[in-house]
Amino acid sequence: MTNTSTKNNKPLKFHWRLLQGGEGTGITRALQHEVQQTALPDVKAQQEFCKSAESSGIESLLVDFSYGKPDPLLLATALALQTEKAKFMIAVRSGLLSPTLFVQQVNTFSALTSGNRISLNVVAGYSPQEQRYYGDFLSHDERYARTEEFLAICNSFWNKNEAVNYEGKYFKIEDGRLNTPFLSKESSRPYIFIGGGSLLARDLAIKQGDCWIRFADTPENLVSSIEPVLKAGKEVGLRLSVIARATKKEAVNAAKALVENLDDVGTKDIKNKEENFVNKSDSVSIKEMYENSEKEWLSDNLWAGAVRTHGSPLIALVGTPEEIASEFIRYKKIGVTQFILLGWPKLEEMINFGKNIIPLIRKMENH
Amino acid sequence: MEKRVRFHWSLSQAGDTFRRAKSTIDQSGLLNFEAQIALCQRAQECGIDSMLMAIGFTRPDPLLLSVMLGQKTKKINFMVAVRPGLISPTLFVQQINTLSCLIDGRVHVNIVNGRSPQELRYYGDFLNHDERFKRTEEFLAICNAFWAKEGDVNFSGKYYHIENGKINTPFVSPQRSKPEIFLGGNSALAAELAGKYADCLWRFPEAPEKLKPQIQTVLEQGQEVGLLVSLITRPTQEEAEAAAQALVGKFGDKTREVVEEVYKQSDSEGFQSVFTLSGKEQFPWVTPYLWTGAVPYLGPPAIALVGSYENIAKAISDYKAIGITQYLFMGWPDIEEMTHLAKGVMPLLAKQK
Repeated sequence: MTNTSTKNNKPLKFHWRLLQGGEGTGITRALQHEVQQTALPDVKAQQEFCKSAESSGIESLLVDFSYGKPDPLLLATALALQTEKAKFMIAVRSGLLSPTLFVQQVNTFSALTSGNRISLNVVAGYSPQEQRYYGDFLSHDERYARTEEFLAICNSFWNKNEAVNYEGKYFKIEDGRLNTPFLSKESSRPYIFIGGGSLLARDLAIKQGDCWIRFADTPENLVSSIEPVLKAGKEVGLRLSVIARATKKEAVNAAKALVENLDDVGTKDIKNKEENFVNKSDSVSIKEMYENSEKEWLSDNLWAGAVRTHGSPLIALVGTPEEIASEFIRYKKIGVTQFILLGWPKLEEMINFGKNIIPLIRKMENH
Repeated sequence: MEKRVRFHWSLSQAGDTFRRAKSTIDQSGLLNFEAQIALCQRAQECGIDSMLMAIGFTRPDPLLLSVMLGQKTKKINFMVAVRPGLISPTLFVQQINTLSCLIDGRVHVNIVNGRSPQELRYYGDFLNHDERFKRTEEFLAICNAFWAKEGDVNFSGKYYHIENGKINTPFVSPQRSKPEIFLGGNSALAAELAGKYADCLWRFPEAPEKLKPQIQTVLEQGQEVGLLVSLITRPTQEEAEAAAQALVGKFGDKTREVVEEVYKQSDSEGFQSVFTLSGKEQFPWVTPYLWTGAVPYLGPPAIALVGSYENIAKAISDYKAIGITQYLFMGWPDIEEMTHLAKGVMPLLAKQK
């Protein structure tokens, strides 16, 4: 442990999930898939969101992938061309396109926008049902095996200056070439986050990625699970929500209101929908998170009370800015360096985070 | 129903005057974006319907490039090329629909089967020519099912299997609920496929009387037929022919070697047929306006309509008589040629009506 805490003196990085079109203050995951609400880009509102992220000290915006949303690469291209500095973390699933074509699309993004404004969030997909919409019938473990081949090919295109040859179980590439390079002063390829709570996801992060991203738990529970990643010299990041208010009481009330306010639409109905979603999912982390959230409070400030209505990304730090800043420092001490955050309401919470919490964290980091 | 003649223009290597004359591996994949924006804006002023956004390993991705060019223009459409073997049809529909939302529906789709098996292997695609067509057919059946929006998409074929497929992002356009689909190919398979799933079949040109029987079936099914052809037009016939000769003079034996190489690698019937047409080099004129003189230097897409404004207008009306209603042009250089078309030829076509 001393090993990681001494070398780990870089400032923590905070990413935020991009507001999807028509999403407003936030809707539950189960509903998000059912309604047409998020289907259309809202470039104007999203552009404003990106600008707020820029000025709030947010490192990049996570652009989700699902059948209910616009394509993340195209949407991010449109937004990057309309903003100055905002960076985009693009969600990608491996089975849906040729790795060569994917590298070509990512490289084109880098050529159209200057300044290394793209990173990847590689996910294996959490719903076998949804994968089949796209013609992908592989099982959870096979999807990881395929993702590893996919990334090996992508990394070959990015790291080598020669034709790419690869023969695996899922992909075969012969003398692969692309003339459009990844254009960046700092790097020959985009930074790669690997998302997922399973051991397969963790191994993949060690082999082909830069940072393993999983849902948050208490620092005590995370220590042993993240150790192999840190030992391999890779980073660890957490996905979680933040609900900060001036007093703890207000924060707890705001958190509880998220669930209580669902009453007009029927909390029970939404709980059933989320349960159904989790049952159909083959994601290890989504299932684990659902199980763990039987307990409402995992620590003084880590709250799982909305996981069963809003989904696993709503594992949340709830409290005053000071309490929340201290919690981030506790994560930093065990070696976690990056966070993908989500707020409720989405925009206001991000602005509040940048104004009131990041400065506290920076002060504590320098202490 | 009487169909209006429409013109499209290839964006390909705007800003690169040596387009098609360099070996592909030497081409820069970083294009001159300013030149591309200028060409699109000029095309918009010239009344060009759409820009062809080609696909290939030497170029940036056409979908992302269309987002950028779409933001810099207001009227012009983007005809995005796709090779069905490289992407899930569901994801492709999602990308096209997203593009339509971002640039006001100014999106056409150009389906290509790929002409170089070697290049397709760069992308992990090892199917042969006829298999690629069969896969394209499945791909289009699935795309059209998504665009028809008649519920979940289920498809079980040899190449794709889709179960309860859904995409929430719709194709958004003031005029259409799905993009106009163009499909290229000279083979019988291409014609059959266009008849089933496309709006327009692209062909390399031949003399009208030769072309007529080959496109009859497609026209009878209600689809359009368009020509992939280069354009060299000037106020007089002499000037046009001189410009054509000057073009050949600019390129030497080196570019001939490049083109020979393309020919050897290609399994496209369209490419083969144009190479055959241009075989008799001492007679590069197939008709008084169809010229193959640049094909040995610049490849099959350099088969060109060459002539005075009046002769080109006449050629277009001859082709119209056999049912050709769309053109995909290239020029050397593009902006000048496009301006000749708009200023010289289009007014004559308007008068013919």
